[in-house]
Amino acid sequence: MSTKKYAVAIRDVLQQEMQRDERVFVMGEDIAEQGGIFGCTRGLMEEFGKERVRNTPISEAGFIGAGVGASLTGMRPVIELMYMDFTYVAMDQILNQAAKIRYMYGGKATLPLVIRGQQGIGRGNAGTHSQSVEAFFTHIPGLKVAMPATPADAAGLLRTAIRDNNPIMFFEHKALYAVSGEVPDDPDFSIPFGKAAIMREGADVTVIATSLMVSRALEAAEKLSGEGIDVEVIDPRTILPMDMDTFVGSVKKTGRALVVHEAHRTMGIGAEIAAELTEKAFVYLDAPVARLGAKACTLPFSLVLENAVVPGVDDIVEGVRKICYR
Amino acid sequence: MDNKRLEWIYKTMLTIRNFEDKALSLFESNQLRGSVHLCTGQEAVAATVCSHLRDEDYITSTHRGHGHCIAKGAEPDLAMAELMGKSTGYCLGRGGSMHIADVTKGNLGANAIVAAGLPIASGAALSAKLRGTDQIAVAFFGDGAANEGAFHEALNLAAVWKLPIIFVCENNQFGISTHVDVSTSVKDIAVRAKAYDIPGEVVDGNDVFDIDKAVKKAVARAKAGKGPSLIECKTYRWYGHWTGDPQVYRSKEDVEIWKQKCPIKRLEEYLREHKILTEKEMEKMHSDASSQIDAAAEFALSSPDPDPATVLENVYFEN
Amino acid sequence: MAEKIIMPKQGLQMTEGTIIEWKKQVGDTVKEGETLFEIETDKLNIDIDAPASGTLLAVLRKEGETVPITEIIGYIGEAGEDVSSLTGAPKNPPTEAPTESPAESPTESPTESMIEAPTEAPTEAPAGASGRKFVTPRARKTAEEKQLDLQKITGTGPEGLVIERDVLAAAVSAGSSAPGQPSATPTARKLAERTGQDLASITGTGPRGKIYSADIAAAARQKTTGSYPESAEYGAEEIPMRGMRKVIAERMRSSLDEAAQAVHRMDIDMSEAVRLRAAFKAEGRAVSFNDIIVRAAAAALKRHPRINRQIGSNGNILQFRDVNIGIAVALDEGLIVPVISHADQRSLEDIHAESKRLAAAARSNTLQPEDLAGGRFTISNLGMYGLDSFTAIINRPESCILAVGSITDRPVVIEKQLAVRPVCTLSLTYDHRLIDGAPAAEFLQTLRGILQNPLLMI
Repeated sequence: MSTKKYAVAIRDVLQQEMQRDERVFVMGEDIAEQGGIFGCTRGLMEEFGKERVRNTPISEAGFIGAGVGASLTGMRPVIELMYMDFTYVAMDQILNQAAKIRYMYGGKATLPLVIRGQQGIGRGNAGTHSQSVEAFFTHIPGLKVAMPATPADAAGLLRTAIRDNNPIMFFEHKALYAVSGEVPDDPDFSIPFGKAAIMREGADVTVIATSLMVSRALEAAEKLSGEGIDVEVIDPRTILPMDMDTFVGSVKKTGRALVVHEAHRTMGIGAEIAAELTEKAFVYLDAPVARLGAKACTLPFSLVLENAVVPGVDDIVEGVRKICYR
Repeated sequence: MDNKRLEWIYKTMLTIRNFEDKALSLFESNQLRGSVHLCTGQEAVAATVCSHLRDEDYITSTHRGHGHCIAKGAEPDLAMAELMGKSTGYCLGRGGSMHIADVTKGNLGANAIVAAGLPIASGAALSAKLRGTDQIAVAFFGDGAANEGAFHEALNLAAVWKLPIIFVCENNQFGISTHVDVSTSVKDIAVRAKAYDIPGEVVDGNDVFDIDKAVKKAVARAKAGKGPSLIECKTYRWYGHWTGDPQVYRSKEDVEIWKQKCPIKRLEEYLREHKILTEKEMEKMHSDASSQIDAAAEFALSSPDPDPATVLENVYFEN
Repeated sequence: MAEKIIMPKQGLQMTEGTIIEWKKQVGDTVKEGETLFEIETDKLNIDIDAPASGTLLAVLRKEGETVPITEIIGYIGEAGEDVSSLTGAPKNPPTEAPTESPAESPTESPTESMIEAPTEAPTEAPAGASGRKFVTPRARKTAEEKQLDLQKITGTGPEGLVIERDVLAAAVSAGSSAPGQPSATPTARKLAERTGQDLASITGTGPRGKIYSADIAAAARQKTTGSYPESAEYGAEEIPMRGMRKVIAERMRSSLDEAAQAVHRMDIDMSEAVRLRAAFKAEGRAVSFNDIIVRAAAAALKRHPRINRQIGSNGNILQFRDVNIGIAVALDEGLIVPVISHADQRSLEDIHAESKRLAAAARSNTLQPEDLAGGRFTISNLGMYGLDSFTAIINRPESCILAVGSITDRPVVIEKQLAVRPVCTLSLTYDHRLIDGAPAAEFLQTLRGILQNPLLMI
């Protein structure tokens, strides 16, 4: 085990996977000399050179498309997007090409491709640079979507992503990069997709939270334990595939669930989870499955307003109390 | 150009012509569904460009892609089966006319999104460069694609990275019903190469020799590591945008003028004049192509539909 | 409309509070912000201000009662306003159906929040009125398992929705033999287990029959002495176990229950510490031995992060970065442990000032919740009572406590010569579940090194 920051955990996995497999290369904006604006590729250019650690023009549709082409022809590209909000300018390449090619070609093409980058609140980047955009990519079959909440998960899930033969959307969080945690040193340490992590066991209510919301849910759980409400906190880790079985198992025990994500509440993954739980655990429910997510407005710049839009610890506490009828 | 290559181009053009004619008749007799975009009249471009490519070289194609697909070595029966959505088709009936691919033959796929193939072909060229091979990539696209962002991003990316790729524009003058004169700021799309500091050339897209000259240069440049080229082939599609297009945007006279410029006829004149093939040999090649395509249609018609129980297969690679 | 008065949550750990005194009587006029009642929590006595201006309409919980947080204890409103429907007192002959409107439902949140209210039963058919009953799927399933008639169960969810806990409560009162857990606080459950009592046989005094630890204690007394009061039997005065005393009692008991407590002792030659203190004194600056020990312990903790750990509530080990040292302060009626945060980053004088402030605040009962938060390691110094050494009980959830004895001149052998030196015995109680003997000893060794050469503190 080593204690490292989330960003360093990502960097180290990129380095190890590039050492292990010549087909792996990284490209993106300002990732070579600069090492990425969040430092996730720092030092890689020095070790692997500018061909395999490739700076791109500001041309997301172009270089993501190039990633698709390189992937189809035997390479294993890992593309850094400076902000995952920028997926919007490359949506065709992601949703029409990367996601669909294998299926449309009758399974006769393989597309190992990772598109990774950060998103979310925390740096006052306002509406076009603070969004949580993961849900878009869960709607189109063919992609897998990971969103690690801890340094160990970032390492374990990224390694799985790079070794996977499918296109993967890998959502990091800007506010988590500086968070430290224990990461196994094993160069093969990986975490399977579709396996949720029970971050805290509890008997009274299930809180399913993603990315930055995991730590907030844990903090809320701590507060609620003072009120005699015993909260189970689950981090899905990957939202496609989604470990619905673990949620169902937990809800069978607790009878109530609250889904918390930073992305907008409306039409979000919380709705999907709520619907699945209603179908699969209906008779176990003692309250409607509740959802917390960003309010239905653009992410505002002001910190005060940003905090008002995205669920905070107190919102989670309040949300749990409500479904516990307290 | 050596005779062997000429014969191959001729034979390929005949195969394409017959394939398209058959597709049209199957569509008209309601045995084939979906959007079928025919490239009849444009055969010279696909055949001539692909005559310079090996199996290991890459192409990306367009919604009007049957010609590219056949010229890059596709089996007509598997292609026809795909057009009919059969389980024996290239894509097991999942892709259809607009998504035929054969990655093993370097065909990275027809693409129904205009200009989407250009960045993908650039990526294939990047892949060749990273792996240190002498493979090259060709991106086929139409005049409409030249106004998409992806066209400009791909040209810039390929130029700045000096990728071994040739961008081949088939300017057949119409984006569905919209003429290039009203959609495009330049008379010749090839001049847009200047913006990316790469060679751009306009050729007669119905003239095998004109195309051949430009492609030869572009291939040499790509293999020398000097980067991409843009070749604009002026041509014309004989049929509508899709089968059933009422074609209110052009006159029958215009179509007739272009039919006179048929690339196959022009090549036949040359072959005849230079005594490369006899009349009899050419007739035989015609009838061979025709019976090959008849057999392909027979194969496709008699192939089973895909099993609905398999509809969820291949969404993901099962690791 | 009347304003609720609730038992407010004060500080992270608070789960319930005891009402010490109502400063106003029912009928009195109160102003928002004026002190309305006093409560006693785990560690503090706190004055609570009125949440609104008006007339104190009702007092639901009397002085001396211990109430879970957020429970409604009274109402303020306009003089003459009828709150009988809220307090549960019958105003008219009782009707079958609950009459309160959805807007007045106590489960309704007063503020708009990001989540929407849980299911509300259709309003045109209030529960009971039309004979139709709204029941959650889980409650229905539990009622089936326990073979209870749902029609006879009163729902406490929104608009009378029957939820699982209503079924469980009904099962308890029906004496259902089916396995079902009556509602009880975690402490009550533990106490019941320890005293070998069946929760189902105990009547809870909390809301909807929730069982508190006091109910278990009362039942235990009932068992052993019948209804005869214990105090009368022994001619003793009976003092309610509450507030700080109750907390200390529970904490000490649970500390010994849960932690694997082991003790290391070490004698420290304090000559250098004496010299250091004298040097400060010579400059007219006050520093106590205790301050020096706090600072030295902080420096040692920084060097031994393995000691700066706790077992978290999920059973995992929490490794702290901050070095926060609690200092035990004796009070007339108990003991309190305010915390000197970031002790490793403070100067000796800073520690002196902070510990003086905390001790004074402790004695004047003005400690703020943050003064009590975040303790990692406690130091208890009883040297002033002439104790050479003693063993302290770990202040849970911490994993170490250092007991400091008096500094006395004692004979020591130095380089085979007998000498007299000021010596202090330190006793470290540590939780062997996560700290083994050797690292605990290493820590003490480092601490001795620092105290014998205080320059190492820097």
